[in-house]
Amino acid sequence: MVAAAFADFMQQVVSGLASGGVYAALALALVIIHRSTGVINFSQGEMATLCTYIAWTLTVNHGWSYWPAFVATVGFSFLFGVVTHRVVIRPVERGNVLRVVIVTIGLLIAINGFVVWQWSGEPQALASPFGTDTLDIGGVIVSVGDIGTIAVTIGIVILLWLLFQFTKVGLALRAAAVNPNEARLVGVRVTWMLALGWGLAAVLGAVAGMLTAPSVGLDPQMMQPILIYAFAAAILGGIDSPLGAVVGGLTLGVMLNLIGVYVDFVGAELKLPVALLVILVVLLVKPSGLFGRPEVKRV
Amino acid sequence: MNPNLTRVTGFVGFALLVVLVFLLPEWISTFRAQQFAYVGIYLIALLGLNILTGYTGQISLGHGAFMAIGGYTTALLMAGNEQFGQEGLLGIGGGMKDVWTIPIAGLVAGLFGLAFGLPALRLSGLYLALATFAIAVALPSVVKRFEEFSGGGSGVNLFGLPELTAGIIPVDIAGRELVFNDWLYYLCWSIALVLFGIAWLILRGRTGRAFRAVRDSETAAVSSGVSLAHYKTLAFGISAAYAGVAGSLFAIATTFVNPDTFPIALSIFLLVGVVVGGLGGLSGLVVGAIFIQFLPLWAQGEGVASRLPGFIVDRTKEPGAPAIIYGIVLILLMFFLPNGVGGLFRRAGQTLTRWRYSRSG
Amino acid sequence: MRRQSALVALAVVSALALGALPGAFAGSTADPGITSTSIVLGGTSPLTGPAAAYASVARGAKAYFDSVNAKGGVAKRKLEYKIVDDAYNPAQSVQATRQLVEQDKVFAIFNSLGTEQNIAVREYLNQTKVPQLFVASGATTWGRDAVKYPWTIGFQPSYQAEGLVYGQYVSKTMKKAKIAVLLQNDDYGKDLLVGLKRGLARSGSKVVAAESYEVTAPDVQSQVAKLKSSGANVLAIFATPKFAIQAFVYANRLAWRPRIINNSVSGASNIMLLASEGGKNKSIEGAISLNFLKDPTDPKWKNDPGMKSYRSVMGKYAKGANVSDVYHVYGMAVAFETVSLFKRLGANPTRAGLLARARSITSPANPFLLPGIAVRTGKGDNFPIQQGQLQRWTKGKWAPFGGLWESDRL
Repeated sequence: MVAAAFADFMQQVVSGLASGGVYAALALALVIIHRSTGVINFSQGEMATLCTYIAWTLTVNHGWSYWPAFVATVGFSFLFGVVTHRVVIRPVERGNVLRVVIVTIGLLIAINGFVVWQWSGEPQALASPFGTDTLDIGGVIVSVGDIGTIAVTIGIVILLWLLFQFTKVGLALRAAAVNPNEARLVGVRVTWMLALGWGLAAVLGAVAGMLTAPSVGLDPQMMQPILIYAFAAAILGGIDSPLGAVVGGLTLGVMLNLIGVYVDFVGAELKLPVALLVILVVLLVKPSGLFGRPEVKRV
Repeated sequence: MNPNLTRVTGFVGFALLVVLVFLLPEWISTFRAQQFAYVGIYLIALLGLNILTGYTGQISLGHGAFMAIGGYTTALLMAGNEQFGQEGLLGIGGGMKDVWTIPIAGLVAGLFGLAFGLPALRLSGLYLALATFAIAVALPSVVKRFEEFSGGGSGVNLFGLPELTAGIIPVDIAGRELVFNDWLYYLCWSIALVLFGIAWLILRGRTGRAFRAVRDSETAAVSSGVSLAHYKTLAFGISAAYAGVAGSLFAIATTFVNPDTFPIALSIFLLVGVVVGGLGGLSGLVVGAIFIQFLPLWAQGEGVASRLPGFIVDRTKEPGAPAIIYGIVLILLMFFLPNGVGGLFRRAGQTLTRWRYSRSG
Repeated sequence: MRRQSALVALAVVSALALGALPGAFAGSTADPGITSTSIVLGGTSPLTGPAAAYASVARGAKAYFDSVNAKGGVAKRKLEYKIVDDAYNPAQSVQATRQLVEQDKVFAIFNSLGTEQNIAVREYLNQTKVPQLFVASGATTWGRDAVKYPWTIGFQPSYQAEGLVYGQYVSKTMKKAKIAVLLQNDDYGKDLLVGLKRGLARSGSKVVAAESYEVTAPDVQSQVAKLKSSGANVLAIFATPKFAIQAFVYANRLAWRPRIINNSVSGASNIMLLASEGGKNKSIEGAISLNFLKDPTDPKWKNDPGMKSYRSVMGKYAKGANVSDVYHVYGMAVAFETVSLFKRLGANPTRAGLLARARSITSPANPFLLPGIAVRTGKGDNFPIQQGQLQRWTKGKWAPFGGLWESDRL
């Protein structure tokens, strides 16, 4: 009896980690853009959806297998992010932050419209690259697909971390984000670094989309709820902290499941409000999130 | 610009607006009057949001939630919730006339705003924006969960209730017979103009100066004796009260509320309206409100499609196309009107002043 | 029951007679939206937003009207169908419906989609005496409350009736079944559950767990895991296509093999094929569902005249649309019924006349509905479609079994 209850509990934890991995990837994209451009990109989810549709078109209409389509889509998404920054974001970058936010809202609406226009609103399926097999680990059923999702997410995070910490481009990226003026003085091409940040964020979004589509299904609104969860994850972890985004995403995924299942009064209806309340309480104690740097004010 | 001149142009402009507002129904169909009633409603919400975001520098992505609180206050005071099975302390008998619920809705939403303003003090910038966003996200589920109190997902219907001043039968106001739509129009705009005036009075005085000081530099504001806690919470309260009044009128105009009538998109569009109208200014907000109400309709209409090249026109009727147009227009507006419509007005005012001085000089 | 039907008849007759008389005698006092060359209908549809997939219903209906117009229309009148987007937001449905009535002056509101979206405008349409014809929603209230709302009439089988059929089926075929239910947290999901429980009454089977989800949630993985742990041997999926597909996928990933009941909203073959994950999903084989429409992907209808005309109409009047999307068939079925209503209205159709006809339909052969399913209304019967065919998912397609199920009037 106890063993069965424990297996149920672990089942919820595992499924929470699988969903949380996706929130983490998108939260990471938000964090990267916030670090480089200082804004929250509301169109992050829609950009990811668009890229996932590209992957779907390649596999279903052009007969590609998953991984080549994955790589091609990652390449496309990078270019898409860079071009978006150069064409749409750069002209409004100076001045009020809200202008950029509104532009990203405009992008959200336009990209969503484009996806509906091009591929219609009906659901589609993107096949899972990991198959549909499952493993039974002491009564807890773990699907190979979920393991793959988490593994790819972690792999991408490590790659990004290596890029930021150990490469010249990474150094320039960090410099451009921390202090654009000084970076410019030492010869960093700041605007291109910002564009690069948008490209990387778009890649993360695309990966999140392609990993999550096989289980949640592909439709034009696929990433909208996930974006809201990614916001919450990024805020919980600290909007400037990549590590925070990952921890925040996984925590949120597990927390939502456990609240929904084990707190009877809450149930599935209230689990999101309660999770948001928990985050609000965390913020009241730590106003910059779990891993965020406290804001330094200069007079 | 000469402050006296600003005040004079301001007064003249406001007087013109009042006259225009009261004459407009003479020129438009009664259906259009109803659409413009919604413009008045959005204007009220934008005034409130701009006090918070444009003047005090606190971004809110959750003003739709305060509108929902106002809307539900009005709906429940009119229709009551005993019909859903609510008993005891939380039971509301209903039966209140619609117009009397409007100030109560503003008050209730204002209190919620004050209450939220307190914890919000700890948060700044993006964290605050997303905390307010969380309210807008969470509210629909909460409304659904407490079904007996709120009517749940099926919502509260107001059409046909005797508490509604106008319905199918026209209403007699000061010897004039007004049909439902015209009545809505005058109701919403009368309140909007009064609240416009109040906002102007608040913002030009000591409170307004304190708000702006908080926005421009919190540290400098504190060092010159402005209490951050006091003014930030106050801004939240006033702003939420405005949203509550807007929500109340929204419920009366729509004659129906349910959680889906105040979606997350509403909160986002209110922010869009403020930025399009111009942060830190009042006059442009009228255009911001018109933008919220009419751009989606315009993007859907025949007018746009007929001006596009042939190969696109064929597909502009398909789902999704209006959204593409809407999004692109929004982005272009941000490109070409960096300070919103209000900024355009200010520039026009400056040109006028220069022209005047150069002629007199 | 009988008293209620008498009341309905009385209310309908008196309401309609008052409106119908002038129209019957004088052509000059015609209702809005009708001229000698056209009839204007209008409806709201979610062209954008979370329910955009349902936009196909309106598109299918419009294609059918266009095809009828190309052949000269009904009594030389063209049927003009204005579709306004409401983004599935009831507040926008209200504004859009008022626009259709007050500005576009439509003759009737036709097939607006969504339960809350239609409830929000029902009072308004009834008090202004504008027909709310063939509401695209399966809520029970459309038929049940016909006395109170004589200007409103539904179309499809009600969700409660559908749930009842599943309950009766389980009672008949299984002993002591333990049923787990995944339901959408709104009237649609709850109505299905109510019906299911009613159908199970006095049998040994019962609902052992019911987990709901919000339409705004990203996934239902946690709910499916919890339902599995309830030890149920039947899973009833009362969810929209996106979440129904997820339920199949997650059940399979949890190596859970219950008998699955899938509601008709998500029962189309194209949805099932998506859920089957290219044949790799083992939970899907043997799933059952109730259906009333002809499935456009089913090879059985290859030479069926109804589906042949469906494909040709789609090809001509809905270029680029996905022909295998069953919602188009729904749209055509309801448009077909509307056209035949207008055909029987004579030279001077009135709004009241339209409603009177809609309350006395006998249409045994709608070419887009499954054979044997009739559209029927009459004294005390305000539910146009009340029959359905159970089908079982076998080797990649639906196979019907047993006779037609007929629900009593819910």
